[in-house]
Amino acid sequence: MLKSLKSIALGAFSATLLAGVAHADITVYTAGPQSLIDKMSEGFTKETGIKVNVFQATTGKVMARIEAEASNPAVDVLISASWDTATDFEKRGWLVKYASPNAAKVPDFLKSDYAVAQGISALGIAWNTKSGTPKPSEWADLAKPEYKDMVNIPDPAQSGSSFELTAALAAQDNFKLFKDLKADGAIIAGANAEALNPVLQGAKAAVFGAVDYITLAAKKKGESIDMVFPASGTVIAPRPAMILNWSKHQDEAKKFVDYMLSDAGQKMVADQMLMPARTDIPADRPLIGDLKLLKYDTADVYGKRKDTLKQVSDIFGGK
Amino acid sequence: MKANGVSGSAPAAWLAIAGLAVVVAVPFAAVVLQGIFPNLGQGSFAGPFSSFIATLNDSALIGMAGNTILLGACVVLVSALVAVPLGVFRALYKVPLAPLFDVLLLVPFMIPPYIATLGWIMTLQPRGYLQQILGFNLAPFLFSLAGMTVVMAFNTFPVVYFAVSRTVEAVGARYADVGRVFGATPARAFWRITLPLSAPGLAASLMLVFAAAIEEYGTPAALGRRAGFQVLVTGIDLRITDWPIDLPGASIMSLLLVALSLITFLGQRWILARRSYQTVNGKPQAKDKRPLGSMRVPVVIAFAVVSFLATGVPLLSILATALSRTISGGLAIDNISLANFIAVFSNSAGAFGALATSFSLGIGTALITGAIGVMAAYTVVKTRISGRVAIDVMTILPNALPGIVVAVGLILAWNMPFLPATPYNTAFILLLAYCCILLPQPMRYATAAFQQIGDNLEAAARVFGASSFTAFRRILLPLVFPSLASAMLLVFALASRELVASVVVAPVGMQTIATFIWRQFEQGSIGLGMAMAFIAIIITTLLPLLLLALLRRSGLVAE
Repeated sequence: MLKSLKSIALGAFSATLLAGVAHADITVYTAGPQSLIDKMSEGFTKETGIKVNVFQATTGKVMARIEAEASNPAVDVLISASWDTATDFEKRGWLVKYASPNAAKVPDFLKSDYAVAQGISALGIAWNTKSGTPKPSEWADLAKPEYKDMVNIPDPAQSGSSFELTAALAAQDNFKLFKDLKADGAIIAGANAEALNPVLQGAKAAVFGAVDYITLAAKKKGESIDMVFPASGTVIAPRPAMILNWSKHQDEAKKFVDYMLSDAGQKMVADQMLMPARTDIPADRPLIGDLKLLKYDTADVYGKRKDTLKQVSDIFGGK
Repeated sequence: MKANGVSGSAPAAWLAIAGLAVVVAVPFAAVVLQGIFPNLGQGSFAGPFSSFIATLNDSALIGMAGNTILLGACVVLVSALVAVPLGVFRALYKVPLAPLFDVLLLVPFMIPPYIATLGWIMTLQPRGYLQQILGFNLAPFLFSLAGMTVVMAFNTFPVVYFAVSRTVEAVGARYADVGRVFGATPARAFWRITLPLSAPGLAASLMLVFAAAIEEYGTPAALGRRAGFQVLVTGIDLRITDWPIDLPGASIMSLLLVALSLITFLGQRWILARRSYQTVNGKPQAKDKRPLGSMRVPVVIAFAVVSFLATGVPLLSILATALSRTISGGLAIDNISLANFIAVFSNSAGAFGALATSFSLGIGTALITGAIGVMAAYTVVKTRISGRVAIDVMTILPNALPGIVVAVGLILAWNMPFLPATPYNTAFILLLAYCCILLPQPMRYATAAFQQIGDNLEAAARVFGASSFTAFRRILLPLVFPSLASAMLLVFALASRELVASVVVAPVGMQTIATFIWRQFEQGSIGLGMAMAFIAIIITTLLPLLLLALLRRSGLVAE
């Protein structure tokens, strides 16, 4: 019996080992959707012959991995879901300067010397059309009695863009809107996907500050859900792509960024219902030009991050 | 270290120590060092202990620690209330349809806790499946400490049920019968004889439940946040994934969790050390079970209700979601679609690869933890080696170490630049992670089993000329094998669904079942995630059953 156990163990060993040793030419860590990076690396490999190895998780988990790997890093290209990462990594001196020739049509506020946006998501109101509530058009609508106990708010502590929205809106009226929402029974409900799920089933009517591309993709699949971008303004989250200075494959990494910003790469971004970074790529959804953006100073907002999160958790209790 | 026990136990001890060093000591040391030296990740030993004060001064810490203990205690209590009566009936009486109920009560093991929780949410929330069918919802109950306790207990009570039914069965009715002969009432004989003799299995399983409850992330994250109920694990996760990342703080908080589980473990050890629990001594045992008589109907109803709540509700909810074309369409005939299952079977998003990876890792983990566990348990229980307490403690350390912290510890340890070869970025790192997290299971089960085996059995074999290895292989191993086999099946199920460590430590380009499901959820494809979850649950349930049936046929495991 021991012998057969041994051979099973060896079999399992070699099977798992073989799965892990395929060497790729560049390694990309991404907080973006898995299907987007799958398509993009497939297209890139077809065009250049350079293989791409992918690690995909949330921004937080990608960062945790990079932080733990810091003594012996493996990542060549990082695509984060929060521009804050690019700013921070640039300050640490971890990034390579690169201006892709394909980035000419990317507006200046979506690129720096060290990073360029892959695509952009915006926040808005995700509203269940069968919820029996009137269609909201403004953030403040969700504090009305019609939406009593029917509103979810993604946790600003778990999502960079939710945090920016919270900070920007709170600065306008010193948290009055959030106090009204709390009085109307709104709750903080986990990360983005966790907040949206109850709205799909109808347990809640709306998400205050939902990520647009997930909602729009659900709508495309036939869910009875709609996306509203309030006219008073919202926030966007550009997803920066950057090349790490420890990369041993910087030329290949630059080629990947070029491909990401090519017509084909940007079309893949648009197919995910994200806004493409290049202004000359069409998309089947509202684009940056159609949205009004809230004005706030990013550095200032992140400087007061701890304080803002504490105020929010004081208002909504617990945590 | 010198062997001077009943047998020449050095090989087992050395193998156990070597295995434990690689699987447990390395990542644990990395976590401790990270707590002490905040810049360890950059390879620097500057500023030792500088993170301790900031972390331990956090005013929220006491609340989180209190909530953690409260939740753990509630889950243990509810698990025991549900599982102990059922387990005792199963062991001592002829319960109708017993094999069926065993399978139904095995399934909750196979349902990943975060999936079960999501299933409960989709059933009980307003306009959830319950309201769509019966017109009311139980949301206020679900999003509370009570709801969290019940959901978690339904996930963990099978650990207690199977431990109790097995140990009580091993104790048998014989000792209680002796009590009856001397005039004890049936109740008195049970409380004073059968239950105390079953204490090793019961205590070990309750401790596993406590450790699992304080280490669990998914359920408190999904239900507890809404109730304003923050536990240590959710706090640790926030420190690791919220930029700027605080690895030292997370390490220190994890050590708190480990300390909590060590205290319960030492308490359990202290209780068990006060007396002997040896009941398996080579004398023939009558395995006849008694008829239930007038209790037949209530007992069957109790089994059926618990099976339905623990297995039926989550499974049906998962299936309903997987079969829905859209979530907003709800339970309606025209909303039924096989699209999600077709997507899994057409290998969309790498579903097959994820299944294959998880199942081979699950088998590998079960074999390795089983081997290390049985050798370590033998060394701890049956030898007099100095330092065996250290071995025992080492096998308990990972019990309360959150998966995400194990993952970070493994990266820190195995990604050091001067290592000539490393398992990091291969599937072996996942194997190491799973072995570390799950080693306590076979170890605890095997320890409880060894504690019930009389020393005279091994001694008799040695007297008749068997070498220590032969005695171990021919006498002890077959006697502990039923316990060990169930523990290994449990490890297989847990390893093939592990999420938190897998997400962080998975090699580039590799998916497991859990990370596949999680990615589908993140992208809003709940139905596809649930279809994958359903398929995985069915396979993880059937595979071990098949294996057990084969083992029974070959006579390795008694019915």
